[in-house]
Amino acid sequence: MVGSLLHPLNIFIVGLGGGFLIPLLNRFGRAWAAAVLVAALAAIALISVSSGVQVFFNGAPIEILTGGAEPPYAINLRMGLAEAFAAACVSIVALLGGAYVVREKYAVLLLYLVLVMGVLGMVMTRDLFNLFVFLEIVSIATYGLLSLGESPEALAAGFKFLMATVVASTLFLLGTILVYAVTGMLNIDGLIADRAAIAGPIGFVALTMLLGALLLELKPFPANGWGLDVYETAPGSVAALVASVVSAGVFFALLKLLPLFEDYLIVIAVSGAITFVFANLVGLSQTKAQRLLGYSSTGQMGLLCMALALLHLTDAEAAIPLAVGGLFLNHLVAKAGLFWLAGIVRKERLREWSVLAGRPLLLVGFGVLLCAIAGLPPFPGFWAKWELLLSLASAGQHVWIAIILLGSLLEAAYLFRWFGRSLNSTADTKDWRPARLDLMPVYSAGLLLAICGYGAATMAGLQGQWVFLPLIAGLAMFAIDRLSARTKWAVAFLAVAAGGLWLVSGAVGIGFLFAVVLYSGSLALTVACLYREDERRGFYPVLAVMLLSLQALPRAATTLEFFVLFELVTLSSYFLIARRDEAQAAALSYLIWSLAAGYFVLAGFAVAHAVIGDVVLSTFLTAGPESALAFGLLAAGFMIKAGAIGVHVWLPAAYAESDDDVSAFLSAVVSKVPIFGLVVAAYAAIRSEAVLDLAYFAGCIGMTTTVGGAMLALRQDDIKRMLAYSSMSQLGYIVAAVALMSHLGWVTALYLTANHLAVKGILFLVAATVILRTGRRELSGLGGLAKRMPLTFGIAVVGVVAMSGLPPFTGFGGKWLLLSAMVEKGWYLPISLGVLATLVGLLYMVRFVRATFLGQPQEDVRTTSDAPWPILAAQALLILGILIMTFAPKLLIVPISDAIDPAFSATLVWNGMSLELIYGYWNPWPTMIASVAVSAVVIAALWLARGLAAKRLRVVRARSFFEDYRPLVLALTPPWTSTFWDRLTEQTQELGRTIACVYTGDGQLYIVYVLYYFVAVYLACAALAFALP
Amino acid sequence: MTISHAVLTTGLLLTLIGMWGMLTQRNILRIIIGFALMGTGSHIVIVAVGYVANGTAPIIDDALPLSEAAARAVDPVPSALAVTAIVIGLAVTAVMLAFAIRLYGAKKSLSIDAFADSKW
Repeated sequence: MVGSLLHPLNIFIVGLGGGFLIPLLNRFGRAWAAAVLVAALAAIALISVSSGVQVFFNGAPIEILTGGAEPPYAINLRMGLAEAFAAACVSIVALLGGAYVVREKYAVLLLYLVLVMGVLGMVMTRDLFNLFVFLEIVSIATYGLLSLGESPEALAAGFKFLMATVVASTLFLLGTILVYAVTGMLNIDGLIADRAAIAGPIGFVALTMLLGALLLELKPFPANGWGLDVYETAPGSVAALVASVVSAGVFFALLKLLPLFEDYLIVIAVSGAITFVFANLVGLSQTKAQRLLGYSSTGQMGLLCMALALLHLTDAEAAIPLAVGGLFLNHLVAKAGLFWLAGIVRKERLREWSVLAGRPLLLVGFGVLLCAIAGLPPFPGFWAKWELLLSLASAGQHVWIAIILLGSLLEAAYLFRWFGRSLNSTADTKDWRPARLDLMPVYSAGLLLAICGYGAATMAGLQGQWVFLPLIAGLAMFAIDRLSARTKWAVAFLAVAAGGLWLVSGAVGIGFLFAVVLYSGSLALTVACLYREDERRGFYPVLAVMLLSLQALPRAATTLEFFVLFELVTLSSYFLIARRDEAQAAALSYLIWSLAAGYFVLAGFAVAHAVIGDVVLSTFLTAGPESALAFGLLAAGFMIKAGAIGVHVWLPAAYAESDDDVSAFLSAVVSKVPIFGLVVAAYAAIRSEAVLDLAYFAGCIGMTTTVGGAMLALRQDDIKRMLAYSSMSQLGYIVAAVALMSHLGWVTALYLTANHLAVKGILFLVAATVILRTGRRELSGLGGLAKRMPLTFGIAVVGVVAMSGLPPFTGFGGKWLLLSAMVEKGWYLPISLGVLATLVGLLYMVRFVRATFLGQPQEDVRTTSDAPWPILAAQALLILGILIMTFAPKLLIVPISDAIDPAFSATLVWNGMSLELIYGYWNPWPTMIASVAVSAVVIAALWLARGLAAKRLRVVRARSFFEDYRPLVLALTPPWTSTFWDRLTEQTQELGRTIACVYTGDGQLYIVYVLYYFVAVYLACAALAFALP
Repeated sequence: MTISHAVLTTGLLLTLIGMWGMLTQRNILRIIIGFALMGTGSHIVIVAVGYVANGTAPIIDDALPLSEAAARAVDPVPSALAVTAIVIGLAVTAVMLAFAIRLYGAKKSLSIDAFADSKW
């Protein structure tokens, strides 16, 4: 009994029956009609899901016969696994969306139900004309919903939609009839089996008409102005329906008929690609929220078409369930959620979305939906894109990979620019109160995406479940976000400490060493976060996610795990930077660059997978010279993320504008992620001769970054920007060390990494103290703080000395190793750059100390107390680390030597001694005592000389000491890079605006585009048919 | 199955005329008429596809035995498709006219030029 109740055919009975009941029961009251709608939608969802379960366990699709006869004499429908998946997704989304229409007139309820039924009919039917009928049912229901619009713009948009889709429908009808004329069949299974019969001129026209009609219904560029107008003006609930449910139905129809178009797949792929890229280009210039979502929707449908066609073209049908299914589900749920949210918020312009600021749960929901659309983890779109790109790389389709990644980057840019606007907390938000119940579907959409993301991750072959630990910790922390700051800090600290310990213990080899360094550094810096006494809603959850992801990264055993964590680090650090209103532009820039870096890494992994055919990181070791491209891409990605010269433009703003403790985290720990990546990639590459030529180039880039960063630091007046450039400069040393591609180089790299972490942590915390106590960030406005902040002064001096490579501290040891190794390799250019950079580094650091702490204090400098104890505690821990590394370098160096393959290290000697022997003899004490003595003498001599000079000259204020050098430094650092990237950004936006001129608003012009598009498809197919035998 | 070329051509021509009307006429009602013509054209195409030259009605009886049915009877399926298509066309035309009424109510104009608000 139950079995027959849940038979898929009941979907139509419920749909039609409900459609009749709604106006009938409406006479008793609107609540009755709404109840019928909800019940019907729930029933349809239940039937879809249960059918899916049944098909999954039986292994065979449910064949539905009608009219008491077999096909082709009667129409048949099928509920297979794909159909059930699509039906379940569509009906659940429709059920959730029903919440937004229950208060409308009964006509809306009726049309809504019929539309959903029509879409499910399109999904299930196996008859071509029946497909047309269901398509028309869906279209008419859509027209009806649009005709109930309130404003003239909505009506006009609805009519344009109408005009364009009737043309497409006519094409579909004519195509169907001509197919029938040629073959005598309307049954899809029969047509697919016998598709060779659709030949001759009429058959060809028929196929192109069908293809053209289906593609047109998916709103391709440029024939989609009508769709965009509807997305812009329709109420959120209707727009959600059109964007998700209707598009899903049409896409599934294309999927169903795809075997008929197997000769023309490239046309579908090209159309999809053009739509995806152009839609996202135009999206950059949008100022209206729903129209922006419309461009994103059309772009996503283009991506889906591209994915479907390309996977078929490259015979990768096995990847289709995850790649296409994942993208399908992702788009369906996330777009619906976003349109529902737009319907609730009711603000037309993007900048008005700042009403969301200060509402954490809403912001999280909004952020989740945007991350899902952008294809970021842990949502289904991410895993789908991974599968898609890996598949394309296996087939050598590098151009398509580039197109997909470019479009994705543009989309992420405008989506997160919108998110940044919504964080603007200066706007007045009190006049807007959404009902809790209204938001339930939006949150449900987010929840659904998270759950399906987990499922997709499993399908993609993710084995390490620990990858989700950062997110779970973040969620748990978000639940307690209302507690006091101290409590939250304590929980966060414990979570990071415990979780990190567990994660780190799972790492091996080089990864373990990096993990230990990152772990200790993160914990030390977390102590400093206590200095802020304000509530900081949403800070600790995101911090927990970031720190745990960082600590989990070295443990990654497969490229997928690595990449997921890499993107999680990017995302969480973006959200941390974006907390300050002044930092929005910097945060967006940071995100786009980091995503670009991530895409290079993704491309590198994909190409590597194609070459090696495996995803486990360690097997890179056996890759041959063909993997040069893979390593090149990986190196490019990691160097962008590290801020190498030329691609560093995001770094100063991101570090400088974020919260002070966040800057410390960014500079100390987050910047080490690309370093780890470079080390692993380099270590794996050494076994293959692939990249030894690239290594010298990378070394030069590293050292150029060092010099460039140092020069740029010298010209800064803002403390944090100066430290940011300094951080970039020091990272250049590490990049060069890795590029040495030798045991010595990597030992040095890890040593320098640990040093940089501690030093930059200390210095940024010093800056935090100064800014906290004086309220100023400019060096020209500071001075004479040494007396008032003696501890901070001392710590700053320690940090400066440790960084600058002066003995006796760690910086010296590291730089000595590095330069010696370069001499050994004959890398003279990098060496000279390195020496120059060290000198310049010394200059700006001394300037920093002098301008901040020495000299005469400004008259209006405020409070005089020293640093708050959390900052001092953190700095003490970091200094402890520096001291350990200074006096016991073997603690770090020996484990590295062990971690790197012993056979390998034994073959590398240095100056006739093996590294083991060298470090065996390394005793820092004599060197240290000697260098302290020498430094003391030199400093005393300088002091005396200056004192003598000051007697004869006027007393010169400390800060003007460097003013003479300023014009020289300014001349030597022309802003070529930032000008280039700024101009590129402007040109891209200008390009988007120009392309948008296609959409003039004239409905008839849109029909002309529709016809042009059809003619283009026809000619393209004809060309293909002509070219291929 | 032979197709009546004259009827087919008429149908396609009518479709094209309807399309031309939709593309060039500025008055919304004329656009709707253009759509109606387009629809009629496609229905004629459907009927033409089913035609068999010198064929008879597809009813099996003494005049038309089963063995000759395939060769001599006009195909009944396209007629069914045509009826369905006519009904669909009816519904769409009705909705279009409803749109025309509401558009006129909103802007007191039936020219498509008045409704180009959403753009770019």
